[in-house]
Amino acid sequence: MQDSGILPDAANGHRWGCSVGTGMVSINYKELLAFQREAAPKGQLEAELILESSIATDPIYFCRNQSAQGLSLLVKRYSIQGYTTSVHTACASGGQAVGTALKLIRRGDCDYVLAGGFDSMISPLGLAGFCLLDALSTDNHNPLTASRPFDATRNGFVMGEGAGFLVLEEWERAVKRGARIYAELAGEGNSLTSYRITDPLPSGDGPIQAMQQALRSAGLHPEQVDYLNAHGTSTPMNDRSEAAASHVVFGDHINNLKVSSTKSTMGHLIAAAGAVEAAICALTIYYNKAPINANLTRHDPECNLNFVCNQTKDFVVRVAMSNSLGFGGSNSCLVFRDPEAP
Amino acid sequence: MEIVPRVVVTGLGAVCAAGKYPGQIFNSLLDGKVSIAEHMGWDVENWPCRLAGVVGFNPRELINDRKLLKLIKKTDVLGIYVAEKALESAGISGYRESLTSEADEYFAQRFGIYGGTSGALPSTQYDFLPLIKEADGSTLIIGEKLNDYINPMWLLGNLPNNVLCHVGIRNKLKGPNAFITNHSTSGMLSIIEAFESIRIGDTDRAIAIGHDAPVDPQTVLSYHITGLLAKASLCPFESKRSGSILGEGGAALVLETLEAASSRSAVIHAEILGKGCTSEAQGLLPVRIDGDGISRAICLGLEQAGLSTQQIGMIVCHGNGTITSDLSEGAAIRKVFGSKIPPITCFKWAFGHTLGASGSIDAVLAITALQRGIVPAIATLKNIDQSLKDLPIAKAHMEPIANTALILSRGFGGQNCALIVKATSRRGG
Repeated sequence: MQDSGILPDAANGHRWGCSVGTGMVSINYKELLAFQREAAPKGQLEAELILESSIATDPIYFCRNQSAQGLSLLVKRYSIQGYTTSVHTACASGGQAVGTALKLIRRGDCDYVLAGGFDSMISPLGLAGFCLLDALSTDNHNPLTASRPFDATRNGFVMGEGAGFLVLEEWERAVKRGARIYAELAGEGNSLTSYRITDPLPSGDGPIQAMQQALRSAGLHPEQVDYLNAHGTSTPMNDRSEAAASHVVFGDHINNLKVSSTKSTMGHLIAAAGAVEAAICALTIYYNKAPINANLTRHDPECNLNFVCNQTKDFVVRVAMSNSLGFGGSNSCLVFRDPEAP
Repeated sequence: MEIVPRVVVTGLGAVCAAGKYPGQIFNSLLDGKVSIAEHMGWDVENWPCRLAGVVGFNPRELINDRKLLKLIKKTDVLGIYVAEKALESAGISGYRESLTSEADEYFAQRFGIYGGTSGALPSTQYDFLPLIKEADGSTLIIGEKLNDYINPMWLLGNLPNNVLCHVGIRNKLKGPNAFITNHSTSGMLSIIEAFESIRIGDTDRAIAIGHDAPVDPQTVLSYHITGLLAKASLCPFESKRSGSILGEGGAALVLETLEAASSRSAVIHAEILGKGCTSEAQGLLPVRIDGDGISRAICLGLEQAGLSTQQIGMIVCHGNGTITSDLSEGAAIRKVFGSKIPPITCFKWAFGHTLGASGSIDAVLAITALQRGIVPAIATLKNIDQSLKDLPIAKAHMEPIANTALILSRGFGGQNCALIVKATSRRGG
């Protein structure tokens, strides 16, 4: 909000919206420990004891663990009085929230939207859930290279935490007030893979439709895309499937398309990932630089893409695409473009 | 200029403590039956808050898939059940059988799927309590014994967006989608997002699903300590009302463009005309007593629908039975409608506040009410609150004055939604 140089006021607060990708909301681990001692001393919840538990009877504990709490705090802090929504489609949540914000402006519900995602699953339960699914890299001895999307030796994702937010503004209004425009959010696409809860299809079916729809929504051809910020989790299945999808969507242009997964450097931010990566895409356009895909040293023939490796590349980024693919099969794709490029 | 398609409702499904079909639930409203009882699935003897609207059906009655039932929570069962009932009532699978496989793939990709529930429930973490006890504060032991104590699929059983995933897989729906975790407005927001996805041409058809099962010890206790639960009964607009009562349920609507529905000769129940969504930005629990957010949502809905207040046939309030919510709804209606107000009712008194499902259930029942031409009475309402006495609140059954309904849905964070629907056919059942 500070960076945008604009705040909701009494005159336009009702034209501001807020769209956030919210995590699964896990109870703070220390509170869960205290809760167990107080309400489940034998390991099973006891209905009588929960009534006496200081944690369970604390209204603030209740409020803090509401899925709508983050959204509620944000809209109160900035007096956002228009359309407000909180979405959750697992790892696609952040992208979905930003895509929803675009639709809110396009369909006239809002003139301004604060859009993004926030999450931290770095807690014993958060990590345990993914450990049980064998989804995480076990390269604990080597934190710098554990996350290596698209590398032939990749063996799972590395958990990250964080938040990303964008202020989206209807074009004419932004121009009129002389706002610094990083990029135009030009399109969004969305699909459901409907195959299995965790597994993508090796063919890339699902993400393909989301990417194609995002391009249609942006009124752009695949050949116009310069940079793809891949979902690239560093799991064997995701990266292979996403590479296959990219080949289908971009055809021969795939050799010209620069690709990187920024999860290689910051880990997987789960519900925040798509929002942070959306911000990165906007910055690639603003600075004409693309971030690297770190730790990509061994080529995987099934992930044959033109990666940005080793060092940041300076090149003209007119159109950048960001993928977010989630457990449950929700796929979200965003397309940003340089509004001044022909 | 592109013509915005009209969006019609061709399939309905609903489940709650009062029944598992929209018609059955509606009949229980007409009978004035309260399906709230003193049973919550745990020993409530010393509990100050013992009432809830629990869905008592055996899960196998709702979804005949033992393998799937092992993986999902009750809230998911309710969501998948109503979604499939709505698809069935819309005759979707029958129609798809007539398509070539190529046309069916296109159908699937143009079929949107929107869902909502209040959010993650604290009970999802109770599965870890035995392990936490065993580990006695040691994360080392938690790591070592994780596989002995916890089902490897634990995380997947607890994904808030499970219903989206399973409805998609089981019914081969692959289009644009969203899953909303926005407390009690989630169900109505799922209808709104489905409606808008069709209007902007992202989809030809979409299903909107709201579902919730918040009746667990921590949630019930938390609502009690925050002062939101009723002492005895859920009696909206009543002078002695004291709060809400939680319930379980789900409802789903199949939406299509008028053209898509007509092309397959589908039965059209209703048309969605408009929506409004606002926030009061006061924090998680406060509600503005002047009804600011809800009145703005109503005005936005009327504007999009192109209707005047005089063209609204009935109002279905959120009516959750808390003192300030009911009062502020009354204030908002008075402000927008002036002195000419259509019949007002609400439904939560009969089966509880189903949170993320409530907007969906209310929309399905409002459409049923218009089709039958009856505004059901609020059976628990005996003496209307003095400051709401001027409003035409249904103490006895009334008749809608037009074939349109305004439905209101409100949630934590001062969020307000309004939806306007028009019944397009009058059918029994």
